[in-house]
Amino acid sequence: MNILQVILIAVFIYLGAIGSLVGNTIGWYCLGRPLIAAFVVGLIMGDVQTAMLVGIPLQIAYLANVTPGGAVAWDLSYATYIGTAMAIALKGTVGDEAALIGLAFTGAGIGGVVGGTMWNVHYALDVFINRWANKVAEAGDTKKMWMPNMIGGGGIGFLCRFIPAVIVLSAINAAGAASGIAIPGWFVTGISAFGSMMAALGMGIILSFLVKKGVHWAIFMGGFVLVTYFGLSTMAVAVIAAIIAVICYAVMAQREEAF
Amino acid sequence: MKTVSKKTLRKSFLNWFFWNGCSQQAETMLGMAFGQSMAPAIEELYDAREDRSAALQRHITLFNTESQVGSICNGIAIGMEEQLANGNGSAEAIQEAKVALIGPTSAIGDSLWVATIIPLLLTICLSIANALSGAAWVGALIYMVVYPVGTYLLSWKLFNLGYKAGLEGVQRFMASGQLDRIMQAVTILGLIVVGALTASFVTCTLNIDIKTAAQVFDEASGSYVDGVISVFNLDNLLNSVFPRILPLGLTLGVYNLYAKKNWTPLAIMGLILALAAALTAIGYIPGIGAFV
Repeated sequence: MNILQVILIAVFIYLGAIGSLVGNTIGWYCLGRPLIAAFVVGLIMGDVQTAMLVGIPLQIAYLANVTPGGAVAWDLSYATYIGTAMAIALKGTVGDEAALIGLAFTGAGIGGVVGGTMWNVHYALDVFINRWANKVAEAGDTKKMWMPNMIGGGGIGFLCRFIPAVIVLSAINAAGAASGIAIPGWFVTGISAFGSMMAALGMGIILSFLVKKGVHWAIFMGGFVLVTYFGLSTMAVAVIAAIIAVICYAVMAQREEAF
Repeated sequence: MKTVSKKTLRKSFLNWFFWNGCSQQAETMLGMAFGQSMAPAIEELYDAREDRSAALQRHITLFNTESQVGSICNGIAIGMEEQLANGNGSAEAIQEAKVALIGPTSAIGDSLWVATIIPLLLTICLSIANALSGAAWVGALIYMVVYPVGTYLLSWKLFNLGYKAGLEGVQRFMASGQLDRIMQAVTILGLIVVGALTASFVTCTLNIDIKTAAQVFDEASGSYVDGVISVFNLDNLLNSVFPRILPLGLTLGVYNLYAKKNWTPLAIMGLILALAAALTAIGYIPGIGAFV
Protein backbone atom coordinates (compact mmCIF):
# COMPACT_ATOMS: atom_id res chain seq x y z
CA MET A 1 0.00 0.00 0.00
CA ASN A 2 1.27 3.46 -0.78
CA ILE A 3 0.46 6.41 1.45
CA LEU A 4 -2.51 7.49 -0.67
CA GLN A 5 -4.06 4.04 -0.45
CA VAL A 6 -3.55 3.97 3.34
CA ILE A 7 -5.30 7.34 3.69
CA LEU A 8 -8.16 6.36 1.37
CA ILE A 9 -8.81 3.10 3.21
CA ALA A 10 -8.65 4.92 6.57
CA VAL A 11 -11.18 7.46 5.28
CA PHE A 12 -13.53 4.65 4.26
CA ILE A 13 -13.06 2.97 7.66
CA TYR A 14 -14.33 6.25 9.12
CA LEU A 15 -17.20 6.53 6.61
CA GLY A 16 -18.29 2.94 7.27
CA ALA A 17 -18.40 3.46 11.03
CA ILE A 18 -21.44 4.32 13.15
CA GLY A 19 -22.23 8.04 13.05
CA SER A 20 -20.01 9.07 10.14
CA LEU A 21 -20.93 12.12 8.09
CA VAL A 22 -22.58 10.10 5.31
CA GLY A 23 -25.12 8.69 7.78
CA ASN A 24 -25.67 5.18 9.10
CA THR A 25 -27.70 4.06 6.09
CA ILE A 26 -24.88 4.72 3.63
CA GLY A 27 -22.13 4.27 6.23
CA TRP A 28 -22.49 1.58 8.90
CA TYR A 29 -25.23 -0.40 7.16
CA CYS A 30 -23.70 -0.23 3.67
CA LEU A 31 -20.03 0.77 3.45
CA GLY A 32 -19.47 -0.98 6.78
CA ARG A 33 -20.75 -4.40 5.62
CA PRO A 34 -17.90 -6.81 4.72
CA LEU A 35 -19.15 -7.56 1.19
CA ILE A 36 -19.13 -3.85 0.32
CA ALA A 37 -16.00 -3.04 2.36
CA ALA A 38 -14.06 -5.72 0.47
CA PHE A 39 -15.20 -4.29 -2.88
CA VAL A 40 -14.08 -0.77 -1.85
CA VAL A 41 -10.67 -1.99 -0.62
CA GLY A 42 -10.31 -4.00 -3.82
CA LEU A 43 -10.94 -0.89 -5.92
CA ILE A 44 -8.49 1.21 -3.88
CA MET A 45 -5.76 -1.43 -3.97
CA GLY A 46 -6.44 -2.48 -7.56
CA ASP A 47 -7.20 -6.13 -6.78
CA VAL A 48 -10.96 -6.62 -6.70
CA GLN A 49 -10.63 -10.37 -7.39
CA THR A 50 -8.65 -11.10 -4.20
CA ALA A 51 -10.78 -8.65 -2.23
CA MET A 52 -14.01 -10.46 -3.09
CA LEU A 53 -12.37 -13.84 -2.45
CA VAL A 54 -11.86 -12.88 1.21
CA GLY A 55 -14.87 -10.54 1.41
CA ILE A 56 -17.45 -13.28 0.85
CA PRO A 57 -16.33 -15.51 3.76
CA LEU A 58 -15.99 -12.42 6.00
CA GLN A 59 -19.52 -11.36 5.11
CA ILE A 60 -20.86 -14.84 5.88
CA ALA A 61 -19.12 -14.94 9.26
CA TYR A 62 -20.37 -11.48 10.23
CA LEU A 63 -23.77 -11.64 8.51
CA ALA A 64 -25.75 -10.84 11.60
CA ASN A 65 -23.32 -8.44 13.21
CA VAL A 66 -26.08 -5.98 13.99
CA THR A 67 -25.96 -3.51 16.83
CA PRO A 68 -29.15 -3.55 18.85
CA GLY A 69 -29.25 -0.53 21.13
CA GLY A 70 -25.87 0.69 19.91
CA ALA A 71 -23.89 -1.94 21.83
CA VAL A 72 -20.67 -2.19 19.87
CA ALA A 73 -18.12 -4.67 21.11
CA TRP A 74 -16.88 -5.51 17.69
CA ASP A 75 -16.42 -2.87 15.03
CA LEU A 76 -17.37 -4.46 11.75
CA SER A 77 -16.18 -1.59 9.58
CA TYR A 78 -12.71 -1.63 11.14
CA ALA A 79 -12.57 -5.42 11.09
CA THR A 80 -13.32 -5.98 7.44
CA TYR A 81 -11.47 -3.03 5.89
CA ILE A 82 -8.31 -3.99 7.76
CA GLY A 83 -8.85 -7.72 7.19
CA THR A 84 -9.21 -7.29 3.42
CA ALA A 85 -6.35 -4.78 3.18
CA MET A 86 -4.09 -7.15 5.10
CA ALA A 87 -4.95 -10.09 2.84
CA ILE A 88 -4.16 -8.09 -0.31
CA ALA A 89 -1.03 -6.41 1.11
CA LEU A 90 0.48 -9.69 2.32
CA LYS A 91 -0.78 -11.77 -0.62
CA GLY A 92 2.76 -12.41 -1.87
CA THR A 93 3.84 -14.06 1.38
CA VAL A 94 1.21 -16.82 1.39
CA GLY A 95 0.39 -19.53 -1.06
CA ASP A 96 -3.21 -20.50 -1.51
CA GLU A 97 -6.76 -19.19 -1.11
CA ALA A 98 -7.29 -20.75 2.31
CA ALA A 99 -4.23 -18.97 3.66
CA LEU A 100 -5.46 -15.65 2.25
CA ILE A 101 -8.81 -16.10 3.97
CA GLY A 102 -6.96 -16.99 7.17
CA LEU A 103 -4.97 -13.76 6.83
CA ALA A 104 -8.15 -11.75 6.33
CA PHE A 105 -9.72 -13.20 9.48
CA THR A 106 -6.55 -12.46 11.44
CA GLY A 107 -6.59 -8.84 10.22
CA ALA A 108 -10.31 -8.61 10.99
CA GLY A 109 -9.60 -9.76 14.54
CA ILE A 110 -7.01 -7.02 15.07
CA GLY A 111 -9.19 -4.39 13.39
CA GLY A 112 -12.33 -5.39 15.26
CA VAL A 113 -10.70 -5.00 18.65
CA VAL A 114 -9.06 -1.64 17.79
CA GLY A 115 -12.34 -0.37 16.32
CA GLY A 116 -14.46 -1.55 19.23
CA THR A 117 -12.14 0.24 21.66
CA MET A 118 -12.18 3.45 19.64
CA TRP A 119 -15.98 3.37 19.42
CA ASN A 120 -16.15 3.32 23.20
CA VAL A 121 -13.71 6.26 23.40
CA HIS A 122 -15.87 8.18 20.90
CA TYR A 123 -19.03 7.34 22.84
CA ALA A 124 -17.50 8.55 26.12
CA LEU A 125 -16.01 11.78 24.72
CA ASP A 126 -19.29 12.80 23.04
CA VAL A 127 -20.82 13.36 26.48
CA PHE A 128 -18.83 16.61 26.80
CA ILE A 129 -20.38 17.96 23.60
CA ASN A 130 -23.73 18.07 25.40
CA ARG A 131 -22.57 21.23 27.25
CA TRP A 132 -22.06 22.95 23.90
CA ALA A 133 -25.46 21.79 22.64
CA ASN A 134 -27.13 23.10 25.80
CA LYS A 135 -25.56 26.54 25.29
CA VAL A 136 -26.71 26.76 21.67
CA ALA A 137 -30.22 25.65 22.63
CA GLU A 138 -30.45 28.12 25.51
CA ALA A 139 -29.51 30.93 23.15
CA GLY A 140 -32.28 29.74 20.81
CA ASP A 141 -29.77 29.78 17.98
CA THR A 142 -31.49 27.49 15.45
CA LYS A 143 -28.89 28.26 12.77
CA LYS A 144 -26.06 26.82 14.91
CA MET A 145 -27.82 23.71 16.19
CA TRP A 146 -25.94 21.54 13.69
CA MET A 147 -22.53 22.45 15.08
CA PRO A 148 -22.35 20.41 18.32
CA ASN A 149 -23.69 17.37 16.50
CA MET A 150 -21.68 17.54 13.29
CA ILE A 151 -18.50 19.43 14.22
CA GLY A 152 -18.32 18.16 17.82
CA GLY A 153 -19.55 14.59 17.54
CA GLY A 154 -18.54 14.24 13.90
CA GLY A 155 -15.04 15.58 14.55
CA ILE A 156 -14.39 13.32 17.53
CA GLY A 157 -15.72 10.40 15.49
CA PHE A 158 -13.36 11.16 12.63
CA LEU A 159 -10.28 11.46 14.85
CA CYS A 160 -11.15 8.27 16.78
CA ARG A 161 -11.43 6.28 13.54
CA PHE A 162 -9.03 7.80 11.06
CA ILE A 163 -5.82 8.09 13.13
CA PRO A 164 -5.78 4.54 14.60
CA ALA A 165 -6.68 3.18 11.16
CA VAL A 166 -3.66 4.89 9.58
CA ILE A 167 -1.42 3.47 12.33
CA VAL A 168 -2.73 -0.10 11.96
CA LEU A 169 -2.56 0.00 8.13
CA SER A 170 1.01 1.36 8.26
CA ALA A 171 1.98 -1.45 10.63
CA ILE A 172 0.57 -3.98 8.14
CA ASN A 173 2.60 -2.27 5.43
CA ALA A 174 5.74 -2.62 7.51
CA ALA A 175 5.00 -6.31 8.05
CA GLY A 176 4.51 -6.72 4.30
CA ALA A 177 7.85 -5.04 3.60
CA ALA A 178 9.59 -7.36 6.05
CA SER A 179 7.78 -10.27 4.34
CA GLY A 180 9.45 -12.64 6.75
CA ILE A 181 6.15 -13.98 8.00
CA ALA A 182 5.35 -17.53 7.08
CA ILE A 183 1.91 -18.60 8.21
CA PRO A 184 1.90 -22.26 9.29
CA GLY A 185 -0.70 -24.61 7.81
CA TRP A 186 -2.31 -25.52 11.12
CA PHE A 187 -2.95 -21.84 11.85
CA VAL A 188 -4.71 -21.36 8.52
CA THR A 189 -6.82 -24.49 9.11
CA GLY A 190 -7.77 -23.28 12.58
CA ILE A 191 -8.61 -19.72 11.59
CA SER A 192 -10.70 -20.96 8.62
CA ALA A 193 -12.59 -23.28 10.97
CA PHE A 194 -13.14 -20.30 13.28
CA GLY A 195 -14.48 -18.20 10.41
CA SER A 196 -17.02 -20.75 9.28
CA MET A 197 -18.09 -21.49 12.86
CA MET A 198 -18.51 -17.74 13.44
CA ALA A 199 -21.51 -17.78 11.08
CA ALA A 200 -23.31 -19.58 13.93
CA LEU A 201 -22.92 -16.47 16.10
CA GLY A 202 -24.77 -14.35 13.57
CA MET A 203 -27.51 -16.92 13.11
CA GLY A 204 -27.93 -17.38 16.87
CA ILE A 205 -28.30 -13.62 17.42
CA ILE A 206 -30.80 -13.19 14.57
CA LEU A 207 -32.81 -16.12 15.93
CA SER A 208 -33.03 -14.39 19.30
CA PHE A 209 -34.83 -11.51 17.52
CA LEU A 210 -37.10 -13.72 15.48
CA VAL A 211 -38.12 -16.67 17.65
CA LYS A 212 -41.08 -15.76 19.85
CA LYS A 213 -42.91 -19.06 20.18
CA GLY A 214 -42.32 -22.79 19.79
CA VAL A 215 -43.78 -23.10 16.31
CA HIS A 216 -41.13 -20.69 15.04
CA TRP A 217 -38.53 -23.43 15.50
CA ALA A 218 -40.49 -25.61 13.08
CA ILE A 219 -40.48 -22.81 10.49
CA PHE A 220 -36.73 -22.37 11.01
CA MET A 221 -36.20 -26.11 10.49
CA GLY A 222 -38.27 -25.88 7.31
CA GLY A 223 -35.68 -23.56 5.81
CA PHE A 224 -32.86 -25.75 7.10
CA VAL A 225 -34.08 -28.98 5.49
CA LEU A 226 -34.92 -27.25 2.20
CA VAL A 227 -31.15 -26.92 1.88
CA THR A 228 -29.98 -30.19 3.44
CA TYR A 229 -32.60 -32.58 1.98
CA PHE A 230 -33.58 -30.76 -1.22
CA GLY A 231 -30.26 -29.16 -2.04
CA LEU A 232 -31.74 -25.75 -2.78
CA SER A 233 -29.60 -22.60 -2.85
CA THR A 234 -30.24 -19.85 -0.28
CA MET A 235 -31.56 -17.65 -3.07
CA ALA A 236 -34.15 -20.29 -4.02
CA VAL A 237 -35.18 -20.67 -0.38
CA ALA A 238 -35.52 -16.88 -0.06
CA VAL A 239 -37.96 -16.85 -2.98
CA ILE A 240 -40.00 -19.70 -1.50
CA ALA A 241 -39.96 -17.97 1.89
CA ALA A 242 -41.25 -14.74 0.35
CA ILE A 243 -44.14 -16.63 -1.28
CA ILE A 244 -45.04 -18.32 2.01
CA ALA A 245 -44.87 -14.99 3.88
CA VAL A 246 -47.22 -13.28 1.41
CA ILE A 247 -49.70 -16.17 1.67
CA CYS A 248 -49.56 -16.09 5.48
CA TYR A 249 -50.17 -12.33 5.46
CA ALA A 250 -53.20 -12.74 3.21
CA VAL A 251 -54.62 -15.56 5.34
CA MET A 252 -54.16 -13.54 8.54
CA ALA A 253 -55.85 -10.50 6.99
CA GLN A 254 -58.78 -12.59 5.77
CA ARG A 255 -59.26 -14.29 9.11
CA GLU A 256 -59.45 -10.93 10.86
CA GLU A 257 -62.05 -9.66 8.39
CA ALA A 258 -64.21 -12.68 9.11
CA PHE A 259 -64.52 -11.73 12.77
CA MET B 1 -52.11 29.62 10.98
CA LYS B 2 -48.46 28.64 10.99
CA THR B 3 -47.36 25.66 8.92
CA VAL B 4 -44.03 24.05 8.17
CA SER B 5 -43.17 24.32 4.48
CA LYS B 6 -42.39 21.29 2.33
CA LYS B 7 -38.82 22.53 1.94
CA THR B 8 -38.29 22.75 5.69
CA LEU B 9 -39.72 19.27 6.17
CA ARG B 10 -37.22 17.91 3.66
CA LYS B 11 -34.38 19.78 5.35
CA SER B 12 -35.36 18.46 8.76
CA PHE B 13 -35.53 14.92 7.37
CA LEU B 14 -32.15 15.15 5.67
CA ASN B 15 -30.57 16.50 8.87
CA TRP B 16 -31.83 13.40 10.61
CA PHE B 17 -31.21 10.84 7.86
CA PHE B 18 -27.55 11.72 7.42
CA TRP B 19 -26.43 12.91 10.84
CA ASN B 20 -28.51 11.06 13.41
CA GLY B 21 -25.53 9.10 14.71
CA CYS B 22 -22.82 11.78 14.79
CA SER B 23 -22.91 12.56 18.48
CA GLN B 24 -24.30 9.41 20.07
CA GLN B 25 -23.44 9.19 23.77
CA ALA B 26 -24.71 7.75 27.04
CA GLU B 27 -26.22 10.97 28.41
CA THR B 28 -28.80 11.91 25.76
CA MET B 29 -28.15 9.18 23.13
CA LEU B 30 -29.36 10.78 19.88
CA GLY B 31 -30.54 13.97 21.61
CA MET B 32 -28.21 16.46 19.90
CA ALA B 33 -28.95 14.97 16.49
CA PHE B 34 -32.68 15.20 17.15
CA GLY B 35 -32.20 18.86 18.04
CA GLN B 36 -30.37 19.46 14.77
CA SER B 37 -33.22 17.79 12.88
CA MET B 38 -35.84 19.95 14.61
CA ALA B 39 -33.93 23.25 14.24
CA PRO B 40 -35.20 24.23 10.75
CA ALA B 41 -38.83 23.63 11.76
CA ILE B 42 -38.41 25.54 15.02
CA GLU B 43 -36.90 28.47 13.16
CA GLU B 44 -39.89 28.61 10.84
CA LEU B 45 -42.53 28.18 13.53
CA TYR B 46 -41.27 30.53 16.24
CA ASP B 47 -40.05 34.08 15.86
CA ALA B 48 -39.28 35.03 19.47
CA ARG B 49 -35.86 34.04 20.78
CA GLU B 50 -37.35 32.69 24.04
CA ASP B 51 -39.73 30.40 22.14
CA ARG B 52 -36.95 29.07 19.94
CA SER B 53 -34.75 28.53 22.98
CA ALA B 54 -37.48 26.60 24.82
CA ALA B 55 -38.24 24.49 21.77
CA LEU B 56 -34.59 23.61 21.09
CA GLN B 57 -34.05 22.73 24.74
CA ARG B 58 -36.90 20.25 24.78
CA HIS B 59 -35.54 18.48 21.71
CA ILE B 60 -31.91 17.95 22.78
CA THR B 61 -32.98 15.82 25.74
CA LEU B 62 -32.65 12.05 25.87
CA PHE B 63 -33.92 10.37 22.74
CA ASN B 64 -33.13 7.04 21.14
CA THR B 65 -34.55 4.84 18.40
CA GLU B 66 -33.52 2.74 15.43
CA SER B 67 -33.03 5.87 13.40
CA GLN B 68 -33.97 4.62 9.90
CA VAL B 69 -37.45 3.47 10.89
CA GLY B 70 -37.50 6.01 13.73
CA SER B 71 -37.76 8.99 11.36
CA ILE B 72 -41.49 8.67 12.03
CA CYS B 73 -40.80 10.21 15.46
CA ASN B 74 -39.33 13.34 13.86
CA GLY B 75 -42.42 13.70 11.69
CA ILE B 76 -44.72 13.36 14.70
CA ALA B 77 -42.66 15.87 16.73
CA ILE B 78 -42.78 18.46 13.93
CA GLY B 79 -46.54 18.00 13.61
CA MET B 80 -46.95 18.57 17.36
CA GLU B 81 -44.66 21.62 17.34
CA GLU B 82 -46.75 23.05 14.53
CA GLN B 83 -49.89 22.66 16.63
CA LEU B 84 -48.19 24.17 19.65
CA ALA B 85 -47.10 27.19 17.61
CA ASN B 86 -50.77 27.67 16.74
CA GLY B 87 -51.80 27.47 20.37
CA ASN B 88 -52.88 23.83 20.57
CA GLY B 89 -51.31 21.17 22.77
CA SER B 90 -48.51 21.59 25.27
CA ALA B 91 -44.75 21.27 25.51
CA GLU B 92 -45.20 18.43 28.01
CA ALA B 93 -47.30 16.45 25.53
CA ILE B 94 -44.45 16.65 22.97
CA GLN B 95 -41.98 15.35 25.54
CA GLU B 96 -44.31 12.54 26.55
CA ALA B 97 -44.94 11.55 22.93
CA LYS B 98 -41.20 11.31 22.22
CA VAL B 99 -40.57 9.15 25.29
CA ALA B 100 -43.52 6.93 24.39
CA LEU B 101 -42.17 6.41 20.86
CA ILE B 102 -38.66 5.29 21.91
CA GLY B 103 -39.66 1.71 22.77
CA PRO B 104 -41.90 0.67 19.86
CA THR B 105 -39.85 2.35 17.11
CA SER B 106 -36.59 0.83 18.41
CA ALA B 107 -38.18 -2.61 18.61
CA ILE B 108 -39.67 -2.48 15.13
CA GLY B 109 -36.56 -0.96 13.59
CA ASP B 110 -34.13 -3.39 15.20
CA SER B 111 -36.07 -6.60 14.65
CA LEU B 112 -37.69 -5.82 11.30
CA TRP B 113 -35.22 -3.66 9.43
CA VAL B 114 -31.80 -4.26 10.96
CA ALA B 115 -32.06 -7.91 11.95
CA THR B 116 -34.21 -9.18 9.08
CA ILE B 117 -34.10 -6.98 5.99
CA ILE B 118 -30.34 -6.29 6.04
CA PRO B 119 -29.21 -9.95 6.44
CA LEU B 120 -31.83 -10.94 3.86
CA LEU B 121 -30.63 -8.44 1.29
CA LEU B 122 -27.00 -9.32 2.03
CA THR B 123 -27.85 -13.00 1.51
CA ILE B 124 -29.37 -12.32 -1.88
CA CYS B 125 -26.32 -10.26 -2.86
CA LEU B 126 -24.01 -12.99 -1.53
CA SER B 127 -25.83 -15.55 -3.68
CA ILE B 128 -25.35 -13.30 -6.70
CA ALA B 129 -21.67 -12.83 -5.84
CA ASN B 130 -21.22 -16.59 -5.46
CA ALA B 131 -22.98 -17.30 -8.75
CA LEU B 132 -20.83 -14.78 -10.65
CA SER B 133 -17.49 -15.92 -9.28
CA GLY B 134 -15.57 -13.98 -11.92
CA ALA B 135 -17.48 -10.78 -11.24
CA ALA B 136 -18.40 -11.24 -7.58
CA TRP B 137 -18.27 -7.46 -7.07
CA VAL B 138 -21.64 -7.16 -8.86
CA GLY B 139 -23.28 -8.52 -5.69
CA ALA B 140 -21.63 -5.76 -3.64
CA LEU B 141 -22.63 -3.11 -6.16
CA ILE B 142 -26.28 -4.19 -6.11
CA TYR B 143 -26.38 -3.88 -2.32
CA MET B 144 -24.70 -0.45 -2.50
CA VAL B 145 -27.53 0.81 -4.69
CA VAL B 146 -30.57 -1.07 -3.41
CA TYR B 147 -30.07 -0.71 0.34
CA PRO B 148 -29.43 3.06 0.67
CA VAL B 149 -32.04 4.02 -1.94
CA GLY B 150 -34.69 1.68 -0.52
CA THR B 151 -34.03 2.80 3.05
CA TYR B 152 -34.07 6.47 2.07
CA LEU B 153 -37.49 6.08 0.44
CA LEU B 154 -38.90 4.13 3.38
CA SER B 155 -37.49 6.55 5.93
CA TRP B 156 -38.84 9.62 4.09
CA LYS B 157 -42.27 7.98 3.72
CA LEU B 158 -42.39 7.20 7.45
CA PHE B 159 -41.29 10.74 8.30
CA ASN B 160 -44.19 12.14 6.26
CA LEU B 161 -46.59 9.58 7.71
CA GLY B 162 -45.66 10.75 11.20
CA TYR B 163 -46.11 14.40 10.25
CA LYS B 164 -49.48 13.88 8.57
CA ALA B 165 -51.06 11.20 10.76
CA GLY B 166 -49.72 12.54 14.05
CA LEU B 167 -49.26 10.58 17.24
CA GLU B 168 -52.88 9.35 17.40
CA GLY B 169 -52.83 8.25 13.78
CA VAL B 170 -49.59 6.33 14.19
CA GLN B 171 -50.76 4.72 17.41
CA ARG B 172 -54.03 3.76 15.73
CA PHE B 173 -52.06 2.15 12.91
CA MET B 174 -49.88 0.29 15.42
CA ALA B 175 -52.98 -0.97 17.25
CA SER B 176 -54.91 -1.83 14.09
CA GLY B 177 -53.28 -5.22 13.74
CA GLN B 178 -51.93 -4.47 10.28
CA LEU B 179 -48.45 -3.79 11.62
CA ASP B 180 -48.68 -6.96 13.67
CA ARG B 181 -49.50 -8.98 10.54
CA ILE B 182 -46.61 -7.43 8.64
CA MET B 183 -44.28 -8.29 11.53
CA GLN B 184 -45.54 -11.88 11.63
CA ALA B 185 -45.19 -12.36 7.89
CA VAL B 186 -41.66 -10.94 7.90
CA THR B 187 -40.79 -13.14 10.89
CA ILE B 188 -41.82 -16.22 8.90
CA LEU B 189 -39.75 -15.04 5.94
CA GLY B 190 -36.78 -14.35 8.21
CA LEU B 191 -36.99 -17.72 9.99
CA ILE B 192 -37.03 -19.74 6.77
CA VAL B 193 -34.11 -17.77 5.34
CA VAL B 194 -32.09 -18.04 8.54
CA GLY B 195 -32.73 -21.80 8.50
CA ALA B 196 -31.36 -21.97 4.97
CA LEU B 197 -28.39 -19.77 5.87
CA THR B 198 -27.54 -21.94 8.85
CA ALA B 199 -27.56 -25.04 6.65
CA SER B 200 -25.53 -23.34 3.90
CA PHE B 201 -22.95 -21.27 5.71
CA VAL B 202 -22.29 -22.58 9.22
CA THR B 203 -19.60 -25.26 9.23
CA CYS B 204 -18.46 -27.37 12.12
CA THR B 205 -16.54 -30.65 11.94
CA LEU B 206 -15.16 -32.89 14.68
CA ASN B 207 -12.22 -33.98 12.50
CA ILE B 208 -12.14 -37.54 13.79
CA ASP B 209 -11.23 -39.93 11.00
CA ILE B 210 -9.58 -43.24 11.84
CA LYS B 211 -7.71 -44.63 8.90
CA THR B 212 -5.94 -47.86 8.24
CA ALA B 213 -3.21 -48.82 5.82
CA ALA B 214 -4.48 -50.86 2.91
CA GLN B 215 -3.95 -51.61 -0.75
CA VAL B 216 -5.69 -48.93 -2.82
CA PHE B 217 -6.54 -49.22 -6.50
CA ASP B 218 -4.70 -46.53 -8.42
CA GLU B 219 -6.58 -45.43 -11.56
CA ALA B 220 -3.55 -43.97 -13.29
CA SER B 221 -1.37 -47.04 -13.19
CA GLY B 222 -4.20 -49.57 -13.07
CA SER B 223 -2.66 -51.46 -10.18
CA TYR B 224 -2.94 -51.72 -6.41
CA VAL B 225 -0.58 -49.48 -4.40
CA ASP B 226 0.01 -48.80 -0.72
CA GLY B 227 -2.42 -46.26 0.68
CA VAL B 228 -4.89 -45.55 3.48
CA ILE B 229 -8.64 -45.95 3.70
CA SER B 230 -11.01 -44.46 6.24
CA VAL B 231 -12.64 -46.98 8.56
CA PHE B 232 -14.41 -44.60 10.95
CA ASN B 233 -15.25 -41.00 10.03
CA LEU B 234 -17.37 -39.46 12.80
CA ASP B 235 -18.50 -36.46 10.73
CA ASN B 236 -19.74 -38.64 7.87
CA LEU B 237 -21.51 -40.89 10.36
CA LEU B 238 -23.33 -37.97 12.03
CA ASN B 239 -24.26 -36.44 8.69
CA SER B 240 -25.79 -39.72 7.52
CA VAL B 241 -28.05 -39.66 10.60
CA PHE B 242 -29.12 -36.04 10.03
CA PRO B 243 -27.32 -33.89 7.46
CA ARG B 244 -25.38 -30.95 8.95
CA ILE B 245 -26.44 -31.78 12.49
CA LEU B 246 -23.28 -30.24 14.01
CA PRO B 247 -23.72 -26.76 12.48
CA LEU B 248 -27.35 -26.90 13.63
CA GLY B 249 -26.30 -27.85 17.15
CA LEU B 250 -23.67 -25.10 17.24
CA THR B 251 -26.20 -22.48 16.13
CA LEU B 252 -28.77 -23.60 18.69
CA GLY B 253 -26.05 -23.59 21.36
CA VAL B 254 -25.11 -20.00 20.48
CA TYR B 255 -28.80 -19.00 20.56
CA ASN B 256 -29.13 -20.53 23.99
CA LEU B 257 -26.05 -18.73 25.35
CA TYR B 258 -27.06 -15.38 23.86
CA ALA B 259 -30.82 -15.38 24.40
CA LYS B 260 -31.18 -17.45 27.57
CA LYS B 261 -27.86 -17.19 29.42
CA ASN B 262 -27.21 -13.55 28.46
CA TRP B 263 -23.67 -14.09 27.22
CA THR B 264 -22.20 -11.13 25.30
CA PRO B 265 -21.36 -11.62 21.59
CA LEU B 266 -17.68 -11.08 22.43
CA ALA B 267 -17.71 -13.86 25.03
CA ILE B 268 -19.40 -16.22 22.56
CA MET B 269 -16.81 -15.27 19.96
CA GLY B 270 -14.11 -16.25 22.46
CA LEU B 271 -15.80 -19.59 23.07
CA ILE B 272 -16.04 -20.26 19.32
CA LEU B 273 -12.34 -19.42 18.97
CA ALA B 274 -11.50 -21.92 21.73
CA LEU B 275 -13.76 -24.57 20.15
CA ALA B 276 -12.20 -24.00 16.72
CA ALA B 277 -8.72 -24.36 18.23
CA ALA B 278 -9.67 -27.57 20.05
CA LEU B 279 -11.37 -29.16 17.01
CA THR B 280 -8.45 -28.21 14.78
CA ALA B 281 -6.05 -29.74 17.30
CA ILE B 282 -8.07 -33.00 17.26
CA GLY B 283 -7.59 -33.13 13.51
CA TYR B 284 -3.82 -33.29 13.97
CA ILE B 285 -3.75 -36.10 16.55
CA PRO B 286 -1.93 -39.05 14.94
CA GLY B 287 -4.16 -42.08 14.55
CA ILE B 288 -7.56 -40.43 14.87
CA GLY B 289 -7.21 -36.96 13.29
CA ALA B 290 -8.64 -36.14 9.88
CA PHE B 291 -5.66 -34.03 8.80
CA VAL B 292 -2.93 -36.63 9.30
